[in-house]
Formats: sequence, C-alpha cells, structure tokens
Amino acid sequence: MSVRQAPTHQQGAPERTMEDDSDVEEEALANDYRQQVDYDGEDYGLDRQMSLGGGPQDLHAQLVAAAQPLEYQATLETKIASYDSYCNLFHFILNSEGPVDIEVPSHYWAWDVIDEFIYQFNSFCSYRQRMALQQSTTTVNEDEVNILKDNPNVWGCYSVLNVLYSLIQRSQISEQLAAKKRGEDGALYAGDYGSRTLYQMLGYFSIIGLLRVHCLLGDFSLALKTLDDIELNKKAMFARVMAANFTTYYYVGFSYMMMHRYADALRMFNHILIYVSRTKNFQKNAQYDSISKKNDQMLALVAICVSFSPTRLDDTIHTALREKYGEQLTRMQRGGPESLPLFEEMFRQACPRFISPTPPDFENPQVNIDPVEHQLSIFMEEVKNNMWSPIVRSYLKLYTTMDLTKLAGFLEVDADELRSRLLVNKQRSRQVRYSEGGLLEGDVVNSSDLDYAMQGDIIHVSEAKVGRKLVDWYLRNLARTY
Amino acid sequence: MGFAFDHAPERPANIDTILNGLDRYNPETTSIFQEYVAQQCETQTYDCYANLALLKLYQFNPHLTRDETTTNILVKSLTVFPSPDFNLGLSLLPPHLLAQTKATSATGPPASGTLAEAIQHLTKLHTLLVNSNFASFWQTLDSDDLYADLVADVQGFEELMRVRIAVVVSQCMQEVQRSVLDGWLNVKGEKFERFVKEVCGWRVEGETVRVPENKENSAQGTVVRETVKFEQFGRMVKRAYEQPA
Repeated sequence: MSVRQAPTHQQGAPERTMEDDSDVEEEALANDYRQQVDYDGEDYGLDRQMSLGGGPQDLHAQLVAAAQPLEYQATLETKIASYDSYCNLFHFILNSEGPVDIEVPSHYWAWDVIDEFIYQFNSFCSYRQRMALQQSTTTVNEDEVNILKDNPNVWGCYSVLNVLYSLIQRSQISEQLAAKKRGEDGALYAGDYGSRTLYQMLGYFSIIGLLRVHCLLGDFSLALKTLDDIELNKKAMFARVMAANFTTYYYVGFSYMMMHRYADALRMFNHILIYVSRTKNFQKNAQYDSISKKNDQMLALVAICVSFSPTRLDDTIHTALREKYGEQLTRMQRGGPESLPLFEEMFRQACPRFISPTPPDFENPQVNIDPVEHQLSIFMEEVKNNMWSPIVRSYLKLYTTMDLTKLAGFLEVDADELRSRLLVNKQRSRQVRYSEGGLLEGDVVNSSDLDYAMQGDIIHVSEAKVGRKLVDWYLRNLARTY
Repeated sequence: MGFAFDHAPERPANIDTILNGLDRYNPETTSIFQEYVAQQCETQTYDCYANLALLKLYQFNPHLTRDETTTNILVKSLTVFPSPDFNLGLSLLPPHLLAQTKATSATGPPASGTLAEAIQHLTKLHTLLVNSNFASFWQTLDSDDLYADLVADVQGFEELMRVRIAVVVSQCMQEVQRSVLDGWLNVKGEKFERFVKEVCGWRVEGETVRVPENKENSAQGTVVRETVKFEQFGRMVKRAYEQPA
C-alpha cells in the first residue's frame, strides 16, 4: 500500500492510467481526455519528486497535506506540485488493487480534501485566466506565463471532473443514497469500496464537489441535477460538517437564483443563515471566521432575491440584512435605473469565482474575458428587464381599480409601454417553486402578494392578505418560559 | 403536478441514456446531440436540458462548436420565453463572444457573419420579448435579413411565438383592444380572427377581444393562512416528556 508505485505513472496524471480500468464509462472519459489533450509525457523540468516520499509516515503526511490549504503566497511551482500530489493520491485511492485501508487524519478528512482540491482548482484557473488577460496591459512574469503555456493540462477541467466522477462511481454512493431514499438498506448496494467509510465519504462529498464545479462553470441546471440523490435536510450527512452544510446551500441557492427561481433561492439562504445564527455561539473558532465571509455573501444574495421577489423574511435575517446592507436594500427595492449599479456591486461581491473550462488563449490576450464578467452581464440583463416592476407595483398597491392611461400619466410613460410593463410584472410574479422531488422540479405559482387583471384599459387589482403568523412567536416564547 | 426542468416528454431513450451517463462529456456524442437539435427544429419539440448538454460539450471542446446549431438552440429557447432557458444557454457560451456583442465605440459592432453578430441580434430579440414589447419584436424581426436566416431552421417559429405571446396575454387580460392585440400578434384581418378564435378560443366582439376567465387573469383577493404542522411542536412535546412539571 505504498504510493511508491506511483512514480511510474506520475507524469501522466491518473487519467492516463485509468485506461486499464474495466469501467467503461471511466474509459470513455479517459479517451476523451487523451483526444483532448495531446499529452507528450515530458517532464516539465520541475522538481516533481518532492511530493512523493517513501514509507507510511510520508503517506500520512501526504494525507494531512491534502486537506491543508496552500500558503497564500504559494509559488506557481508549488501549485503545480500540489496538483501532482492530488493526482497521485487519488490514483492511489482509486486504482490500487482493491480498496485501500488508510487511516485518515481526522473524521471529516474526506470533506476537507475535496474542498481543498476544488478550491485550489478554482483559484488556479482564475489565476491563469488573469495572467493571460493581463499580458496585454501590464508586464507579467514571463517565466510564469511560459510555465502556464507549457502545462495546459495542469488543473485541467476534465481531470478534476474525472476525479470527482470516479470517486462517486467507485463508492457507488449514488446507488446507496437512492436505496436509502426508497427505504432500503444502502449497504446492500455499497460493494467492496462503498462499504468502507473512507470511500463512502469521499464519494458523498464528491457529489457536493460536483455541484460546486458545475456552478463555477456556469451550468446551473446540471448543478442542481447533481444533487438528485441527496435530500436536503438536517439529517443529511453534509449537514454534520458545518463548512459542507454551508457550501451546499450557497451553491444550491445561487443556482436557483440564476435559474430565476428566487423564492427557492431564498428558501435555501434562509435555512442556512438561520442555522448559522443559531449555532454561532458554539462555533467561535477558525472555522467560523471563514464562514462569516460567506455569510455576508449570502446576505447580499438574499438582498438581490428579495428585491426581485418581495417576501417576508425571517426576523433574524431581516435584522442582519438591515444592519449589513440596509441602504443598498432600500435602493434596490425601489427599482429603476438607479438601482442597477447596486445590483452589480452586490452580485460581484457575492458570486462564486466563475471559471472557464478551457485553458486561456495566451496568444490573444484580449479574448480572455473574466468569466465573472460574463455571468454578470447575463445577470444584469435580467435585472434590467425587471427594474420597472417595483415602481409599477408600488402604484398598484394603492388602488383596487385603476385606469391604464391615468397610471401611465403618473409614471410618465405612454400606454403601450405601461401595458408591456404590466405584462412583464405579471410574468415575473409567476415563478417555478419547489414542492417535492428533485431540486429541478417545481410548480408555477404566484409568488407575489399583489395580483391584477386588465379589462381593456381598466386594471383590477387584488391583494393577497397574509394572516398573522403566530406559531413561530408562540413556540419561541414557550421555549423561553420553560 | 410539478414539472421538472430536466424532463422532456418526447426525448428518445438513447439521448436520455447519454444525458444520465458520463457520455454527456464524450465529444463523440456531439453529432448525436446536433441531430437531435435539428430534429427539435423540424418537429416543433423542445428539450432544453439536452441542448444545454450540447452547449456544454462546445464549452469544453471549442473546436467542435457549430455556429448554426448554437444559434438554433438559442432561437428555440426564445420560443419558450420568459423561461430562463435563453440565459442559461448564454451562460455556457465563451465569455469573449458575449463581450463582443456589448461592443463599445472603440471596438465597433461585431463583424458581419460571425457568431457574435448572430448572438447580438438574438439577445436583442430576447430583450424585446421579456420586456413584452411584442410589436417592436415583430418589427425588429422583419427589419433585417439576418433575423430571417437565424430563425429559418426552426419550423413554425412565428406561429410558436404567436401562441407563446397569446399565453402571456391570457394570463393578464380579461379584455383587450383588438388594435393592441393584432400588433402584439402581428396578424391582421381574417387571419387574426381565425387565430384568436380557433387557436386561442377567445371571442371577438367588435373592437374588443374577450379572454375567458382562467386561474391567472381573475385577480381575486385571497387570505393566506399559516399552515401549522405537528412537527413544529415536536421539540416542545419532547421537552414536556423530559421535564415532567
């Protein structure tokens, strides 16, 4: 069980050696990879031995290292070396003869290692993209650019996806989860690998990892589809690791937002933000610090979603939101062209660092647009289409019947334009909302408290009144008294 | 009855297998997906989830990209506005394409005949549609031969759009002036009456068109009451057992 066998393969990264695996699908992936990348098997002239040592202590050290963040100032060489050691490690775990028995340094090592793996992939891609773009305007480190040019496959998208999918397949985690959902014993479907905790957990957290990678690549529907086998509730395994819990809800919520399902997005953010606010007293440690940044990001997303689809928020979140983004929220909810820069600012602040799956084009620096800008511009189109809705709504709230031309006069637009805005607002109030089943399922429902219909030029307005919500208040006070 | 985003009633079994397996990353399946897109264009069916899988293959393998298929997918997604499909498609396109469409005076508009130019045009149509500027949508569509080329592959594009617009109208209107509606639908005279009566099932009374009442256009006030589930009290009941008073 030594990683020593690895050096013979190490230059090839796991994908190449996976060809001899019997699994057909893996083979297909490996083939794609080979087609895609004309790999020449050359050593890049870097010291690649450093990550490999001999003996079991080194294995242990490697396991620990895999879950540790790189230093902030890590050099390019270190980043590439880190990629290689991940490849070796996953190769060892996946392609040894039979399942490997290793003692992992901590209980949730599996989460840490997947998390760090994707984090490094994400930052490497962003960094590479930035270097390629900056070439045209500023002088960048030529050596680094050359190294990046010569190693287009380091931290390649196909290899990262390959690792995640392979871990999921090896552990047969999808089959296990599906069986559990049907009420059967998951262990019956686990197989040699999946019955071991190590593989089970690696497989499980790889699903969460896939959610994240798909979202980073801009494929939001596939991201949500990935979680088909996982039920989002407090009993799910990811909920036991704070960081995993947090990450899952962030990416699910974000994907919903990009699919224009604001009510569902809010439900996700609500759930996790309440959870954090209730548990933060127990989490005064380093982990909490990293969460608090994400917490602010999610509040910003809540502000965006609530401006799109006004709903009553939970009191704790409402207070936090007012404290953190009170000013911005008011202006975003007001709508109109003045709100656009705020939406942009909030989105930039809260979005994940999107990446592009292919290496940048170093020959044409100007085409390497930051993927964040790309997603931002798509998102802003949506904001622009919506920007009149709050204003229209604010007027309609005051009346039960209203003449179209009169309202057009108030808003200083012509009747045709107002008709269009009314149609837009009506469509926006109809949203797909989740009720049961997979995350991509849902019913179209009216998500607004305001509804209206037009009879020629007369607008009939109706309002849905929300009865007082007492249960929450009652329970809270009851809990306080005994 | 809910609907699932990844569900398409007419999807063939082989496409379904590819979508659910790792073959969705296999560049060799590109041609299968491309044929499927062509088939959707001909038969007036639509499968967004499969089309996004093809755009993803293009995203991973830019050299395989076929401009025509890309634009066909986007045109198809226009026929289901105001769903997010068009935007989801754009999200998977290479960033520099979209950046070119946001051309500033420095760079000028995208060169004619390029994919960027096509996308710029389609985005314009999309914006008009989601803003419910239907009359300008039809005018824009007629204003440039490029539009005709772009939608040429999609069978019955105009008819599909008309039906879609009619759905939007029926959600919001109980009565609408004939002059307004024929501009939105871009049909006049006898054809207008036939479309409104036979396809939509609405009544034309002189200068007004009556839309039968449905769930969306009735605008009735409701009171939303709190639904209380027993589970919410679970904790309290549990505690009552733990600490008998």
